[in-house]
Amino acid sequence: MKPTGIRRAAPLLACLGLLVVWQVASLALRNDSFPTALEAIRAVPAILGDKESLINILASLRRMAIGFVLAVGISVPLGLMMGRSRAVAAFFNPLLMVIYPVPKAALMPIIMLWLGVGDVSKTLVIFLGVSLPVIYHSFEGAKAVEEKMIWSGAAMGLSAVQRMFRIILPAALPEILTGCRTGLVLALITMVTSEMIARQSGAGNILFNALDMGQYDTVFAMIIIVGAMGICLDSAFERVRARLVRWSEPNFNVPLSFS
Amino acid sequence: MKALRSDAESRASGAAGVMIEIDRVSQVFQTSARKDHLALSDISLQVEDGAFVSILGPSGCGKSTLLYIVGGFVAPTSGVAKMRGRPITGPGPDRGPVFQEFALFPWKNALGNVMYGLLQQGAGRAQAEAQSRELLKMVGLKGYENFYPKELSGGMKQRVALARTLAYRPEVLLMDEPFGALDAHTRTRLQNDLLNIWERDRKTVLFVTHSVDEAVFLSDKVVMMTQTPGRIRQIIDIDLPRPRVRTDLLIDPRYQKYVVDIERMFDDIDAGDAS
Repeated sequence: MKPTGIRRAAPLLACLGLLVVWQVASLALRNDSFPTALEAIRAVPAILGDKESLINILASLRRMAIGFVLAVGISVPLGLMMGRSRAVAAFFNPLLMVIYPVPKAALMPIIMLWLGVGDVSKTLVIFLGVSLPVIYHSFEGAKAVEEKMIWSGAAMGLSAVQRMFRIILPAALPEILTGCRTGLVLALITMVTSEMIARQSGAGNILFNALDMGQYDTVFAMIIIVGAMGICLDSAFERVRARLVRWSEPNFNVPLSFS
Repeated sequence: MKALRSDAESRASGAAGVMIEIDRVSQVFQTSARKDHLALSDISLQVEDGAFVSILGPSGCGKSTLLYIVGGFVAPTSGVAKMRGRPITGPGPDRGPVFQEFALFPWKNALGNVMYGLLQQGAGRAQAEAQSRELLKMVGLKGYENFYPKELSGGMKQRVALARTLAYRPEVLLMDEPFGALDAHTRTRLQNDLLNIWERDRKTVLFVTHSVDEAVFLSDKVVMMTQTPGRIRQIIDIDLPRPRVRTDLLIDPRYQKYVVDIERMFDDIDAGDAS
Protein backbone atom coordinates (compact mmCIF):
# COMPACT_ATOMS: atom_id res chain seq x y z
CA MET A 1 0.00 0.00 0.00
CA LYS A 2 1.20 3.49 -0.85
CA PRO A 3 1.67 5.99 2.01
CA THR A 4 -1.45 7.91 0.94
CA GLY A 5 -3.42 4.66 0.98
CA ILE A 6 -2.30 3.95 4.53
CA ARG A 7 -3.22 7.48 5.56
CA ARG A 8 -6.69 7.16 4.08
CA ALA A 9 -7.27 3.76 5.66
CA ALA A 10 -5.95 4.84 9.05
CA PRO A 11 -9.24 6.21 10.49
CA LEU A 12 -11.05 3.07 9.37
CA LEU A 13 -8.38 0.87 10.96
CA ALA A 14 -8.66 2.85 14.18
CA CYS A 15 -12.43 2.29 14.28
CA LEU A 16 -12.03 -1.42 13.55
CA GLY A 17 -9.38 -1.67 16.26
CA LEU A 18 -11.70 -0.03 18.77
CA LEU A 19 -14.50 -2.47 17.89
CA VAL A 20 -12.16 -5.46 18.24
CA VAL A 21 -11.03 -4.28 21.69
CA TRP A 22 -14.66 -3.73 22.64
CA GLN A 23 -15.68 -7.19 21.41
CA VAL A 24 -12.85 -8.92 23.27
CA ALA A 25 -13.41 -6.92 26.46
CA SER A 26 -17.12 -7.64 26.41
CA LEU A 27 -16.60 -11.40 25.89
CA ALA A 28 -14.02 -11.46 28.67
CA LEU A 29 -16.12 -9.55 31.19
CA ARG A 30 -19.43 -11.35 30.47
CA ASN A 31 -21.46 -8.52 31.95
CA ASP A 32 -25.17 -8.12 31.06
CA SER A 33 -24.88 -4.34 30.88
CA PHE A 34 -21.94 -4.52 28.48
CA PRO A 35 -23.05 -6.04 25.18
CA THR A 36 -20.52 -7.06 22.56
CA ALA A 37 -19.72 -4.76 19.66
CA LEU A 38 -21.49 -7.10 17.26
CA GLU A 39 -24.67 -7.07 19.33
CA ALA A 40 -24.64 -3.28 19.46
CA ILE A 41 -24.04 -2.98 15.72
CA ARG A 42 -26.83 -5.43 15.04
CA ALA A 43 -29.21 -3.17 16.99
CA VAL A 44 -28.40 -0.11 14.84
CA PRO A 45 -30.59 -1.04 11.83
CA ALA A 46 -33.45 -1.81 14.19
CA ILE A 47 -33.32 1.76 15.53
CA LEU A 48 -32.84 3.40 12.15
CA GLY A 49 -35.62 1.27 10.69
CA ASP A 50 -38.09 2.30 13.38
CA LYS A 51 -40.22 5.26 12.33
CA GLU A 52 -40.64 6.62 15.85
CA SER A 53 -36.89 6.50 16.51
CA LEU A 54 -36.18 8.27 13.26
CA ILE A 55 -38.65 11.02 14.13
CA ASN A 56 -36.89 11.38 17.48
CA ILE A 57 -33.45 11.61 15.91
CA LEU A 58 -34.60 14.08 13.28
CA ALA A 59 -36.21 16.24 15.98
CA SER A 60 -32.84 16.26 17.76
CA LEU A 61 -31.02 17.29 14.62
CA ARG A 62 -33.55 20.03 13.93
CA ARG A 63 -33.09 21.54 17.40
CA MET A 64 -29.37 21.25 17.02
CA ALA A 65 -29.40 22.98 13.63
CA ILE A 66 -31.61 25.82 14.88
CA GLY A 67 -29.53 26.32 18.02
CA PHE A 68 -26.28 26.23 16.07
CA VAL A 69 -27.36 28.64 13.34
CA LEU A 70 -28.87 31.12 15.81
CA ALA A 71 -25.76 30.97 17.98
CA VAL A 72 -23.39 31.54 15.05
CA GLY A 73 -25.58 34.33 13.68
CA ILE A 74 -25.48 36.23 16.96
CA SER A 75 -22.04 35.27 18.28
CA VAL A 76 -19.99 36.17 15.22
CA PRO A 77 -21.09 39.84 15.04
CA LEU A 78 -20.84 40.14 18.83
CA GLY A 79 -17.35 38.63 18.91
CA LEU A 80 -16.18 40.83 16.03
CA MET A 81 -17.47 43.96 17.75
CA MET A 82 -15.77 42.91 20.98
CA GLY A 83 -12.54 42.41 19.06
CA ARG A 84 -12.61 45.89 17.57
CA SER A 85 -14.03 47.96 20.43
CA ARG A 86 -12.50 48.08 23.87
CA ALA A 87 -15.77 49.37 25.35
CA VAL A 88 -17.84 46.50 23.95
CA ALA A 89 -15.22 43.98 25.08
CA ALA A 90 -15.06 45.50 28.56
CA PHE A 91 -18.84 45.20 28.87
CA PHE A 92 -19.28 41.62 27.64
CA ASN A 93 -16.05 39.99 28.81
CA PRO A 94 -17.01 39.64 32.50
CA LEU A 95 -20.45 38.31 31.55
CA LEU A 96 -18.95 35.68 29.32
CA MET A 97 -16.31 34.73 31.86
CA VAL A 98 -19.09 33.99 34.34
CA ILE A 99 -21.06 31.86 31.88
CA TYR A 100 -18.12 30.08 30.25
CA PRO A 101 -17.17 27.57 32.98
CA VAL A 102 -20.78 26.72 33.89
CA PRO A 103 -21.81 23.40 32.29
CA LYS A 104 -24.71 24.41 30.08
CA ALA A 105 -26.61 21.23 30.99
CA ALA A 106 -26.50 22.39 34.60
CA LEU A 107 -28.68 25.33 33.58
CA MET A 108 -31.20 22.97 32.03
CA PRO A 109 -33.38 22.40 35.14
CA ILE A 110 -33.74 26.15 35.67
CA ILE A 111 -34.47 26.79 32.00
CA MET A 112 -37.05 23.99 32.11
CA LEU A 113 -38.77 25.70 35.03
CA TRP A 114 -39.11 28.84 32.95
CA LEU A 115 -39.66 27.52 29.45
CA GLY A 116 -40.96 23.98 29.93
CA VAL A 117 -39.53 20.70 28.66
CA GLY A 118 -40.20 21.42 24.99
CA ASP A 119 -38.08 22.49 22.04
CA VAL A 120 -37.46 26.00 23.30
CA SER A 121 -35.55 24.94 26.42
CA LYS A 122 -33.42 22.41 24.58
CA THR A 123 -32.66 24.75 21.70
CA LEU A 124 -31.69 27.46 24.17
CA VAL A 125 -29.22 25.14 25.90
CA ILE A 126 -27.69 24.20 22.55
CA PHE A 127 -27.54 27.90 21.69
CA LEU A 128 -25.65 28.64 24.90
CA GLY A 129 -23.26 25.75 24.35
CA VAL A 130 -22.36 26.87 20.85
CA SER A 131 -22.21 30.62 21.53
CA LEU A 132 -19.22 30.85 23.81
CA PRO A 133 -16.51 29.23 21.67
CA VAL A 134 -17.81 31.08 18.61
CA ILE A 135 -17.79 34.44 20.43
CA TYR A 136 -14.35 33.75 21.82
CA HIS A 137 -12.79 32.79 18.48
CA SER A 138 -14.52 35.67 16.62
CA PHE A 139 -13.20 38.03 19.29
CA GLU A 140 -9.64 36.72 18.99
CA GLY A 141 -9.85 36.72 15.19
CA ALA A 142 -11.09 40.32 15.00
CA LYS A 143 -8.48 41.48 17.50
CA ALA A 144 -5.67 40.04 15.39
CA VAL A 145 -6.67 41.77 12.15
CA GLU A 146 -3.83 43.96 10.99
CA GLU A 147 -4.65 47.65 11.52
CA LYS A 148 -3.06 48.67 8.23
CA MET A 149 -5.36 46.30 6.34
CA ILE A 150 -8.33 48.15 7.83
CA TRP A 151 -6.70 51.49 7.04
CA SER A 152 -6.24 50.38 3.44
CA GLY A 153 -9.98 49.74 3.27
CA ALA A 154 -10.76 53.07 4.91
CA ALA A 155 -8.64 54.87 2.32
CA MET A 156 -10.70 53.18 -0.42
CA GLY A 157 -13.78 54.75 1.10
CA LEU A 158 -15.24 51.85 3.10
CA SER A 159 -17.42 52.98 5.99
CA ALA A 160 -16.99 51.55 9.48
CA VAL A 161 -19.82 49.04 8.91
CA GLN A 162 -18.41 48.02 5.52
CA ARG A 163 -14.97 47.57 7.07
CA MET A 164 -16.51 45.26 9.68
CA PHE A 165 -18.22 43.00 7.14
CA ARG A 166 -15.87 43.26 4.20
CA ILE A 167 -12.45 43.38 5.84
CA ILE A 168 -12.57 42.27 9.47
CA LEU A 169 -15.03 39.41 8.87
CA PRO A 170 -13.12 37.77 5.99
CA ALA A 171 -9.75 38.42 7.62
CA ALA A 172 -10.96 36.76 10.84
CA LEU A 173 -12.80 33.95 9.05
CA PRO A 174 -10.22 31.19 9.63
CA GLU A 175 -10.34 31.82 13.36
CA ILE A 176 -14.15 32.17 13.36
CA LEU A 177 -14.55 28.83 11.60
CA THR A 178 -12.25 27.16 14.12
CA GLY A 179 -14.69 28.38 16.77
CA CYS A 180 -17.66 27.16 14.75
CA ARG A 181 -16.13 23.71 14.46
CA THR A 182 -15.75 23.49 18.23
CA GLY A 183 -19.28 24.86 18.49
CA LEU A 184 -20.66 22.15 16.24
CA VAL A 185 -19.29 19.36 18.43
CA LEU A 186 -20.57 21.16 21.52
CA ALA A 187 -23.99 21.44 19.85
CA LEU A 188 -24.12 17.66 19.57
CA ILE A 189 -23.05 17.19 23.19
CA THR A 190 -25.54 19.71 24.57
CA MET A 191 -28.22 18.22 22.35
CA VAL A 192 -27.85 14.80 23.95
CA THR A 193 -27.47 16.12 27.50
CA SER A 194 -30.50 18.39 27.15
CA GLU A 195 -32.58 15.38 26.13
CA MET A 196 -31.16 13.39 28.97
CA ILE A 197 -32.57 15.93 31.41
CA ALA A 198 -35.77 16.90 29.59
CA ARG A 199 -36.87 13.40 28.60
CA GLN A 200 -39.53 14.00 26.03
CA SER A 201 -38.12 13.27 22.58
CA GLY A 202 -34.85 12.99 20.73
CA ALA A 203 -31.81 10.77 20.40
CA GLY A 204 -30.90 11.24 24.05
CA ASN A 205 -34.40 10.19 25.02
CA ILE A 206 -34.13 6.89 23.13
CA LEU A 207 -30.79 6.23 24.78
CA PHE A 208 -31.94 6.82 28.34
CA ASN A 209 -35.28 5.07 27.88
CA ALA A 210 -33.41 2.01 26.68
CA LEU A 211 -31.12 2.29 29.67
CA ASP A 212 -34.12 2.38 32.02
CA MET A 213 -35.55 -0.72 30.35
CA GLY A 214 -32.25 -2.58 30.43
CA GLN A 215 -31.97 -2.78 26.63
CA TYR A 216 -28.22 -2.40 26.69
CA ASP A 217 -27.67 -3.28 23.03
CA THR A 218 -29.93 -0.32 22.10
CA VAL A 219 -28.02 1.94 24.51
CA PHE A 220 -24.72 1.13 22.88
CA ALA A 221 -26.22 1.27 19.39
CA MET A 222 -27.40 4.82 20.16
CA ILE A 223 -23.91 5.74 21.32
CA ILE A 224 -22.60 4.46 17.99
CA ILE A 225 -25.24 6.45 16.11
CA VAL A 226 -24.50 9.67 18.00
CA GLY A 227 -20.77 9.17 17.45
CA ALA A 228 -21.33 8.56 13.74
CA MET A 229 -23.45 11.72 13.52
CA GLY A 230 -20.60 13.64 15.11
CA ILE A 231 -18.05 12.29 12.66
CA CYS A 232 -20.29 13.04 9.66
CA LEU A 233 -21.16 16.57 10.77
CA ASP A 234 -17.57 17.38 11.58
CA SER A 235 -16.15 16.10 8.33
CA ALA A 236 -18.85 17.88 6.31
CA PHE A 237 -18.12 21.09 8.16
CA GLU A 238 -14.39 20.61 7.74
CA ARG A 239 -14.87 20.28 4.01
CA VAL A 240 -16.80 23.55 3.83
CA ARG A 241 -14.27 25.26 6.09
CA ALA A 242 -11.31 24.13 4.03
CA ARG A 243 -12.93 25.50 0.90
CA LEU A 244 -13.78 28.87 2.45
CA VAL A 245 -10.35 29.57 3.88
CA ARG A 246 -8.11 27.84 1.37
CA TRP A 247 -6.23 31.14 1.03
CA SER A 248 -5.03 30.87 4.63
CA GLU A 249 -3.97 27.22 4.70
CA PRO A 250 -0.28 26.70 5.44
CA ASN A 251 0.21 24.08 2.72
CA PHE A 252 -1.06 26.66 0.29
CA ASN A 253 2.02 28.70 1.06
CA VAL A 254 4.40 28.24 -1.85
CA PRO A 255 6.23 31.54 -2.24
CA LEU A 256 7.73 32.18 -5.62
CA SER A 257 11.18 33.57 -6.05
CA PHE A 258 10.51 36.65 -8.04
CA SER A 259 10.98 40.25 -6.96
CA MET B 1 26.13 74.40 1.47
CA LYS B 2 24.21 75.91 -1.38
CA ALA B 3 21.83 73.01 -1.81
CA LEU B 4 20.68 73.09 1.75
CA ARG B 5 18.01 75.64 2.39
CA SER B 6 16.35 76.43 5.62
CA ASP B 7 12.84 75.35 6.45
CA ALA B 8 11.46 78.90 6.33
CA GLU B 9 12.96 79.71 2.94
CA SER B 10 11.59 76.71 1.17
CA ARG B 11 8.22 77.24 2.81
CA ALA B 12 8.10 80.75 1.36
CA SER B 13 9.03 79.53 -2.10
CA GLY B 14 6.22 77.01 -2.39
CA ALA B 15 3.09 79.10 -2.00
CA ALA B 16 1.46 78.18 -5.32
CA GLY B 17 -0.17 74.80 -6.00
CA VAL B 18 0.06 73.49 -2.48
CA MET B 19 -1.35 69.97 -2.20
CA ILE B 20 -0.68 69.21 1.44
CA GLU B 21 -0.13 71.62 4.24
CA ILE B 22 0.92 70.49 7.69
CA ASP B 23 0.46 73.33 10.14
CA ARG B 24 2.10 73.20 13.57
CA VAL B 25 1.24 69.56 14.15
CA SER B 26 2.22 67.89 17.41
CA GLN B 27 1.49 64.36 18.50
CA VAL B 28 1.57 63.02 22.04
CA PHE B 29 1.32 59.29 22.73
CA GLN B 30 0.69 57.60 26.00
CA THR B 31 3.35 55.00 26.65
CA SER B 32 2.55 51.70 28.30
CA ALA B 33 3.90 53.22 31.53
CA ARG B 34 1.13 55.85 31.19
CA LYS B 35 3.59 58.61 30.53
CA ASP B 36 3.16 61.18 27.81
CA HIS B 37 5.61 60.81 24.98
CA LEU B 38 6.01 63.69 22.55
CA ALA B 39 6.38 61.97 19.18
CA LEU B 40 6.05 64.99 16.94
CA SER B 41 6.69 68.56 17.95
CA ASP B 42 5.45 71.57 16.04
CA ILE B 43 5.80 70.25 12.50
CA SER B 44 5.00 72.62 9.65
CA LEU B 45 5.48 71.52 6.06
CA GLN B 46 4.04 72.23 2.64
CA VAL B 47 4.03 69.75 -0.20
CA GLU B 48 3.44 71.14 -3.66
CA ASP B 49 1.24 69.50 -6.24
CA GLY B 50 3.23 66.91 -8.17
CA ALA B 51 6.24 66.91 -5.86
CA PHE B 52 8.02 63.78 -4.71
CA VAL B 53 8.86 64.51 -1.09
CA SER B 54 10.69 62.14 1.24
CA ILE B 55 10.55 62.30 5.00
CA LEU B 56 13.86 61.02 6.25
CA GLY B 57 14.89 60.37 9.81
CA PRO B 58 16.13 57.84 12.34
CA SER B 59 13.69 55.22 13.53
CA GLY B 60 11.37 56.48 16.22
CA CYS B 61 11.39 60.09 15.00
CA GLY B 62 7.66 59.99 14.27
CA LYS B 63 7.97 60.16 10.49
CA SER B 64 5.43 57.39 9.95
CA THR B 65 3.09 59.06 12.42
CA LEU B 66 3.28 62.22 10.35
CA LEU B 67 2.27 60.21 7.29
CA TYR B 68 -0.64 58.61 9.19
CA ILE B 69 -1.85 62.08 10.17
CA VAL B 70 -1.89 63.13 6.52
CA GLY B 71 -3.66 59.87 5.71
CA GLY B 72 -6.31 60.69 8.29
CA PHE B 73 -5.65 57.42 10.16
CA VAL B 74 -4.36 59.25 13.23
CA ALA B 75 -5.66 62.58 14.54
CA PRO B 76 -2.95 65.00 15.64
CA THR B 77 -2.92 66.08 19.27
CA SER B 78 -2.62 69.69 18.15
CA GLY B 79 -2.26 71.53 14.87
CA VAL B 80 -3.91 70.68 11.60
CA ALA B 81 -3.09 68.88 8.36
CA LYS B 82 -4.79 70.11 5.22
CA MET B 83 -5.30 68.67 1.76
CA ARG B 84 -5.90 71.32 -0.91
CA GLY B 85 -6.72 73.78 1.84
CA ARG B 86 -9.28 71.55 3.58
CA PRO B 87 -8.55 70.15 7.02
CA ILE B 88 -8.08 66.37 6.98
CA THR B 89 -10.62 64.67 9.24
CA GLY B 90 -10.28 61.04 8.15
CA PRO B 91 -9.05 58.66 5.46
CA GLY B 92 -10.26 59.12 1.91
CA PRO B 93 -9.58 57.86 -1.62
CA ASP B 94 -7.79 61.11 -2.48
CA ARG B 95 -4.86 59.89 -0.35
CA GLY B 96 -3.66 56.36 -1.11
CA PRO B 97 -1.40 54.61 1.40
CA VAL B 98 1.23 51.95 0.66
CA PHE B 99 2.53 50.30 3.82
CA GLN B 100 5.76 48.49 4.63
CA GLU B 101 3.60 45.55 5.77
CA PHE B 102 1.85 45.41 2.34
CA ALA B 103 -1.52 44.99 4.12
CA LEU B 104 -2.99 43.08 1.19
CA PHE B 105 -6.34 41.33 1.59
CA PRO B 106 -5.20 37.68 1.91
CA TRP B 107 -8.59 36.25 0.89
CA LYS B 108 -8.39 37.98 -2.50
CA ASN B 109 -6.02 37.10 -5.28
CA ALA B 110 -3.79 39.76 -6.86
CA LEU B 111 -6.49 40.81 -9.30
CA GLY B 112 -9.15 40.91 -6.58
CA ASN B 113 -6.93 43.10 -4.43
CA VAL B 114 -6.38 45.61 -7.21
CA MET B 115 -10.06 45.60 -8.18
CA TYR B 116 -11.23 46.16 -4.62
CA GLY B 117 -10.90 49.95 -4.51
CA LEU B 118 -12.27 50.38 -8.03
CA LEU B 119 -15.40 48.38 -7.20
CA GLN B 120 -15.76 50.37 -4.00
CA GLN B 121 -15.65 53.57 -6.06
CA GLY B 122 -18.57 52.25 -8.09
CA ALA B 123 -16.76 51.03 -11.21
CA GLY B 124 -18.40 48.22 -13.19
CA ARG B 125 -16.94 44.78 -12.77
CA ALA B 126 -15.74 44.42 -16.36
CA GLN B 127 -14.20 47.87 -16.37
CA ALA B 128 -12.55 47.34 -12.97
CA GLU B 129 -11.11 44.04 -14.12
CA ALA B 130 -9.71 45.46 -17.35
CA GLN B 131 -8.10 48.38 -15.52
CA SER B 132 -6.71 46.12 -12.81
CA ARG B 133 -5.15 43.75 -15.32
CA GLU B 134 -3.55 46.77 -16.98
CA LEU B 135 -2.18 47.98 -13.63
CA LEU B 136 -0.78 44.57 -12.73
CA LYS B 137 0.95 44.55 -16.08
CA MET B 138 2.36 48.00 -15.37
CA VAL B 139 3.88 46.85 -12.06
CA GLY B 140 5.35 43.81 -13.80
CA LEU B 141 2.94 41.15 -12.59
CA LYS B 142 1.31 40.04 -15.80
CA GLY B 143 0.47 36.37 -15.40
CA TYR B 144 0.13 36.57 -11.61
CA GLU B 145 -3.47 37.80 -11.52
CA ASN B 146 -4.78 34.65 -9.87
CA PHE B 147 -2.06 34.28 -7.26
CA TYR B 148 -2.99 34.80 -3.64
CA PRO B 149 -0.82 37.03 -1.39
CA LYS B 150 0.53 33.95 0.42
CA GLU B 151 1.92 32.66 -2.85
CA LEU B 152 3.79 35.87 -3.67
CA SER B 153 7.25 37.04 -2.58
CA GLY B 154 7.67 40.28 -0.61
CA GLY B 155 8.57 42.33 -3.66
CA MET B 156 5.59 40.96 -5.59
CA LYS B 157 3.27 41.70 -2.69
CA GLN B 158 4.43 45.30 -2.62
CA ARG B 159 3.90 45.56 -6.36
CA VAL B 160 0.32 44.36 -5.90
CA ALA B 161 -0.15 46.83 -3.03
CA LEU B 162 1.12 49.69 -5.21
CA ALA B 163 -1.21 48.68 -8.05
CA ARG B 164 -4.09 48.37 -5.60
CA THR B 165 -3.55 51.93 -4.40
CA LEU B 166 -2.91 53.40 -7.86
CA ALA B 167 -6.15 51.76 -9.03
CA TYR B 168 -8.45 54.21 -7.30
CA ARG B 169 -6.40 57.15 -8.53
CA PRO B 170 -5.52 58.96 -5.33
CA GLU B 171 -4.19 62.49 -5.77
CA VAL B 172 -1.45 61.80 -3.25
CA LEU B 173 0.52 58.62 -2.64
CA LEU B 174 1.46 58.08 1.00
CA MET B 175 4.29 55.59 1.13
CA ASP B 176 5.31 54.34 4.55
CA GLU B 177 8.78 52.76 4.21
CA PRO B 178 7.32 50.71 1.36
CA PHE B 179 10.58 48.96 0.50
CA GLY B 180 11.83 48.60 4.07
CA ALA B 181 11.01 44.91 4.34
CA LEU B 182 12.66 43.93 1.07
CA ASP B 183 16.16 42.71 0.26
CA ALA B 184 18.61 45.17 -1.32
CA HIS B 185 18.26 43.89 -4.88
CA THR B 186 14.47 43.84 -4.85
CA ARG B 187 14.47 47.24 -3.24
CA THR B 188 16.55 48.76 -6.04
CA ARG B 189 14.32 47.23 -8.70
CA LEU B 190 11.20 48.56 -7.04
CA GLN B 191 12.72 52.03 -6.64
CA ASN B 192 13.45 52.12 -10.38
CA ASP B 193 9.99 50.87 -11.25
CA LEU B 194 8.33 53.33 -8.88
CA LEU B 195 10.14 56.23 -10.54
CA ASN B 196 9.18 55.01 -14.01
CA ILE B 197 5.54 54.76 -12.97
CA TRP B 198 5.69 58.12 -11.25
CA GLU B 199 7.14 59.81 -14.37
CA ARG B 200 3.91 59.01 -16.25
CA ASP B 201 1.61 61.25 -14.26
CA ARG B 202 3.78 62.80 -11.54
CA LYS B 203 1.39 62.35 -8.68
CA THR B 204 2.23 64.00 -5.41
CA VAL B 205 4.17 61.51 -3.28
CA LEU B 206 4.95 61.64 0.40
CA PHE B 207 7.55 58.95 1.00
CA VAL B 208 8.78 57.93 4.44
CA THR B 209 12.17 56.23 4.61
CA HIS B 210 15.27 55.90 6.75
CA SER B 211 17.51 55.29 3.74
CA VAL B 212 19.50 58.33 2.59
CA ASP B 213 20.22 56.88 -0.89
CA GLU B 214 16.60 56.08 -1.42
CA ALA B 215 15.45 59.56 -0.39
CA VAL B 216 17.98 61.36 -2.62
CA PHE B 217 17.45 59.06 -5.58
CA LEU B 218 13.65 59.40 -5.60
CA SER B 219 12.85 62.85 -4.30
CA ASP B 220 12.52 66.48 -5.30
CA LYS B 221 12.73 67.39 -1.66
CA VAL B 222 14.05 65.61 1.41
CA VAL B 223 12.62 66.55 4.79
CA MET B 224 15.21 65.68 7.40
CA MET B 225 13.83 64.95 10.84
CA THR B 226 15.44 64.73 14.27
CA GLN B 227 14.60 62.29 16.98
CA THR B 228 12.54 62.51 20.17
CA PRO B 229 10.64 64.67 19.85
CA GLY B 230 10.38 64.50 16.06
CA ARG B 231 11.09 67.90 14.56
CA ILE B 232 12.01 69.06 11.09
CA ARG B 233 15.75 69.65 11.07
CA GLN B 234 16.08 70.82 7.49
CA ILE B 235 14.44 70.63 4.09
CA ILE B 236 16.82 69.88 1.25
CA ASP B 237 15.91 70.45 -2.39
CA ILE B 238 17.33 67.70 -4.56
CA ASP B 239 18.25 69.44 -7.77
CA LEU B 240 19.01 66.48 -10.01
CA PRO B 241 17.68 66.02 -13.55
CA ARG B 242 14.83 63.62 -14.31
CA PRO B 243 14.22 61.01 -15.49
CA ARG B 244 16.82 59.65 -13.13
CA VAL B 245 18.88 56.62 -13.93
CA ARG B 246 20.38 54.99 -10.91
CA THR B 247 23.70 53.96 -12.47
CA ASP B 248 24.22 57.48 -13.85
CA LEU B 249 23.46 59.06 -10.51
CA LEU B 250 25.83 56.83 -8.59
CA ILE B 251 28.80 58.39 -10.40
CA ASP B 252 27.32 61.90 -10.42
CA PRO B 253 29.24 64.14 -7.95
CA ARG B 254 26.08 66.17 -7.23
CA TYR B 255 24.24 63.05 -6.16
CA GLN B 256 27.22 61.95 -4.07
CA LYS B 257 27.37 65.34 -2.38
CA TYR B 258 23.69 65.21 -1.42
CA VAL B 259 24.13 61.76 0.04
CA VAL B 260 27.29 62.69 1.97
CA ASP B 261 25.82 65.95 3.29
CA ILE B 262 22.72 64.20 4.53
CA GLU B 263 24.70 61.31 5.98
CA ARG B 264 26.72 63.87 7.98
CA MET B 265 23.52 65.44 9.22
CA PHE B 266 22.40 62.00 10.31
CA ASP B 267 25.68 61.56 12.21
CA ASP B 268 25.10 64.92 13.92
CA ILE B 269 21.64 63.82 15.00
CA ASP B 270 23.02 60.53 16.33
CA ALA B 271 25.83 62.34 18.15
CA GLY B 272 23.34 64.77 19.66
CA ASP B 273 21.34 61.78 20.77
CA ALA B 274 24.25 60.09 22.47
CA SER B 275 25.29 63.13 24.48
